Formats: sequence, C-alpha cells, structure tokens
Amino acid sequence: MWRRYRPLRIISPIAFLLIWEAVVRLGEVNPLLVPAPASVLRTMFDMTIDGRLPWAIAVSLHRVLQGFIYGSVLGIGLGLLVGWFRPFEDAVDPLVGAIYPIPKSALFPLFILWFGLGETSKVITIMIGVVFLVLINTVTGVKAIDPVLLKAARDLGANRRQTFMKVVIPGALPNIFTGLRLGAGMALILVFITEIEATKAGLGFLLWESYQLLLVKQVFGCTIAFGILGILTTWILQWLEKVLCPWRRV
Amino acid sequence: MPIVLHIKDIRKVWHIERTKEQVVALDGISLDVERGEFLVLVGPSGCGKSTLLQIIAGLENPASGGIELSKSLDGHKETGMVFQEYALFPWRTVLENIVFGPEVRSVPKVEREANAQRLIELVRLRGFEHRYPHELSGGMRQRVALARALANDPAVLCFDEPLASLDAQTRKVLQVELVRIWQETKRTFIYVTHALDEAVLLGDRVVLFTARPGRIKEIVPVRLPRPRTITGKQEVELLEYLSERIRDEVERSLKAEGLT
Ligand SMILES: Nc1ncnc2c1ncn2[C@@H]1O[C@H](COP(=O)(O)OP(=O)(O)O)[C@@H](O)[C@H]1O
Ligand SMILES: [Mg+2]
Repeated sequence: MWRRYRPLRIISPIAFLLIWEAVVRLGEVNPLLVPAPASVLRTMFDMTIDGRLPWAIAVSLHRVLQGFIYGSVLGIGLGLLVGWFRPFEDAVDPLVGAIYPIPKSALFPLFILWFGLGETSKVITIMIGVVFLVLINTVTGVKAIDPVLLKAARDLGANRRQTFMKVVIPGALPNIFTGLRLGAGMALILVFITEIEATKAGLGFLLWESYQLLLVKQVFGCTIAFGILGILTTWILQWLEKVLCPWRRV
Repeated sequence: MPIVLHIKDIRKVWHIERTKEQVVALDGISLDVERGEFLVLVGPSGCGKSTLLQIIAGLENPASGGIELSKSLDGHKETGMVFQEYALFPWRTVLENIVFGPEVRSVPKVEREANAQRLIELVRLRGFEHRYPHELSGGMRQRVALARALANDPAVLCFDEPLASLDAQTRKVLQVELVRIWQETKRTFIYVTHALDEAVLLGDRVVLFTARPGRIKEIVPVRLPRPRTITGKQEVELLEYLSERIRDEVERSLKAEGLT
C-alpha cells in the first residue's frame, strides 16, 4: 500500500517554482513572456502598495457578491418551489430548458443595451449565470429526497407546509450547496468577461488593460489574484456547508 | 377484549401509470384487531402486507372497504409507523428525530423533550441522544424509529418488517426488546414480517396471507406463554405448522414472479 507522503505536498509546488525561477534566470525562456515567480511576486506587492490591486479586487468582489447573492436567493427559492409544487415545475421547466443552454456571457451585450454600461448589466449577467446552476441543483435536491422520509413525516402528523419546512428544505440542502459551489465558479468567470469591455475598474479590467499594455508581470499578478479569489470562495462555502449541514460525513 | 381496529372488506388496486396495468394488491380483507394485542401479519413477498399497513396508517386509500378505529382510543394519535428502512431524518439527531411528531403538533419544547428523554430510557439509547442517524448501528436506528413513533403516543403501532435488514444477532436482541416495550406500553402492535420464527416468538395471533391478491388464509392464535424460545417444543410445532400452511402460497407467488 502507498502511504500518503505528506511533505511531498509542500515540496512539489516549491520545487516547481524554483525550477521555473531557474529556467527564467538561465535565459531559457523570454522573461517578457514568462516572467520569473519572484518578479511576479514583486509586481503584485507593488500593485498592492499603490492600491491598484486591492481596489480592483474590491470592485470585482462587489459585483460578484451582488450577482451571486441575488442569483442564489432566486435560484434556491424558485428551485424549492419547482421541485415541490407541480404547477411551478410545469410553468418554469420550459423556460429553463430554453434559456439554460445559452452561454450566459452571450447575454451580456443584450444586457448592456437594456441596462447601460454601468453596474446593473454586469450584476445581472452574473446573477443569470448563478441562478440556473443553483436552481437546477436545488430541484435535483428536492426530487432526490427519499420518499419514505416524506411518508414518515406525514405519518408523524406533519402537514404539507411543515413537511416542506422540516423535510424538503433540509433534505435538499446538500444539493443546494453543490449548486452554490458551481455558481460561485460561474460568477468568477462572468465577472472577468463583463469587465473586459465597458468598464474602467475591476480585476478583469486590470488584467485586460495589462495585457493590452503588454505588462506581462501584471497579467500574471491579476491571474493569480483571480485564483486566490476562487480558492477563498470555495473555502467559505465549504465552511458554511459544515456549519449548516453538520450531519454530512465529510 | 375490546376491538381497537375494525378492518372491513378492504380491496386495493394499484394502477401502474406507465404500463396501464392494474395490480390487485388486497382483496376482501376483513379483520378485527383487539386492544393491546400483538398481531403478526405474514405472507409471501408482494402479497400486500405493506399496502395493508399503509392503509391502516392512513397513508394510502383503499379502492373499497375501510377501516374504523375505535373512538375510545388510548393515546393522542391513532396510528404510528415503523418502517423497515428506518426512515430517520438524517439531519436530525436522535433526540430531534424523536420529538418530530410532538414538534409538528406544537407540544411545548420542555414537555416534548422531557417525554423524549423518557422514551430514550425506554429504548435504551441513553448517551446517544445527540448522535446523527449515520453514527448509529442499524439496531440503534430502528430503536430511534420506534421511540419516534411512540412519542406521538399512538393507540396502534404498525411495524413493516422492522428487523428485516438487521443481522441475526441484533434481530434476536430486538425481538426480546420489542416484547418488553409492548408489555410496558400496553399498546396494540400490528407487525408485518416474512420470518415465521418471528411470528411464533412475538404474536398473540398470526394472520397468514395468500399470495397476491392478498387475502386472509388463516388466523392462527398463539397460546404460548412468554418469554418464548424458538427451540421450545410447542414453538417448533407451531413453526412447522405455519411453514406447512404457507408453503403453497410462497410457491404460487414465486411462480407469479416467473421463478421456479
Ligand atoms: N406504490 C405502488 N405502486 C404500484 N404498485 C405497488 C405499489 N406499492 C406496492 N405495489 C404492488 O402491490 C403489491 C403488494 O405490494 P406490498 O404491499 O409492498 O407487498 P408486501 O409488503 O407483502 O411484500 C406488489 O405487487 C407491489 O408490486
Ligand atoms: Mg413489504
């Protein structure tokens, strides 16, 4: 049996960075295209000190959070109704079926035409992307509830409302979290896309501007910042799931 | 003994939407259940035992016929169900599962939790109140399910093969426990099983069902003193009699399923 060799998990990324650094310093690759890790770190540090990076992150995060929260609330609410009440399913299903296959980024131009160049069009694009993932997973969660649990609730005297509150919602929660995780990933993708055009702030804007000015180190720095945002949202959602679903084996 | 439950000429037909088939699950079931008795229902698989329990519990409606529960019931509720697959709420701890019934009936928190503590004592789960179902063994889960049903203080408790997914050792222990709890609570137990030894060990009366459509083939009174042992002379005789009587039905039901 192969025992897990823990130190390797730390050694391997460090080794990767060291080799990268060495390759650049030895002049094997063009530092204008692939800058050394140390110099990227340095650039990120400078961008943090002069405030450009924190400001960009704050602006993007604000858009992401708005879109994510509106989208999640709408997705969970609609999802529970669609999953539990037949008429809602019949009403909403065809709409979801028609809109879901459209890449949400393709809706952005329309939203600019309708809502202008400001925040609204960006937040709505992100919200639409989040809504569908959360909605679909919430519906799945409701439908996946073991029918014998619904029967047990009824047998114990729960009416339909109580069954909904005390069985359907907690029963769907694990799948809802799956939707939220996927939604968070989608929100980050969409915030980047909506910041390429029609804005003067945000992490996506900073990245794209750096690219157009051929400031490769800044491009790397912004990309890494996006990665860190992704990791942070995953962590936060994992923590929230642990708090809200303590019965789940992890 | 007064009658607690009057089952009158029940017929149940399942309509299978997809194939447009009609399955007659029960036909002409009439039965009087005495107050406080331990009534065991046995029959080949698919003969409609679960269907009958669900009708008694009000979870399904019969096509014709009906049930009548006596007006002067013990307890707060008419029936309570214990399912084979436990049907515990995974997101609720042992204690939270047990209080579910009183909670939806808006019994004050202090009262329902005090009552739950008493039941935890009864089913011997002291020390496990705050575990989640997945942190318990199968036997413990089934005891939680029993306590949860008892928390509603039902006049009639329905059991649908509650021990069928447990190992032989745990089954034996829980059979003894069930009889003890039945004696302590003085409630009416209607108990479905396909294990004849269980019927002999537990029942005051054993109702034998025919293969589908389920009809009552025979009602066998069990006049043996408790505690019973499955190796006792009279128990063995009764077991042999029951297996003799049920053999044809099992064969018929296997044939209907295309086996043998
Ligand atoms: N919800 C249902 N829909 C359609 N047919 C069912 C349903 N429940 C049970 N049946 C059918 O009714 C018959 C009796 O089932 P059941 O009561 O579960 O038998 P038992 O518990 O004795 O094994 C079986 O043929 C079964 O397939
Ligand atoms: Mg059954």
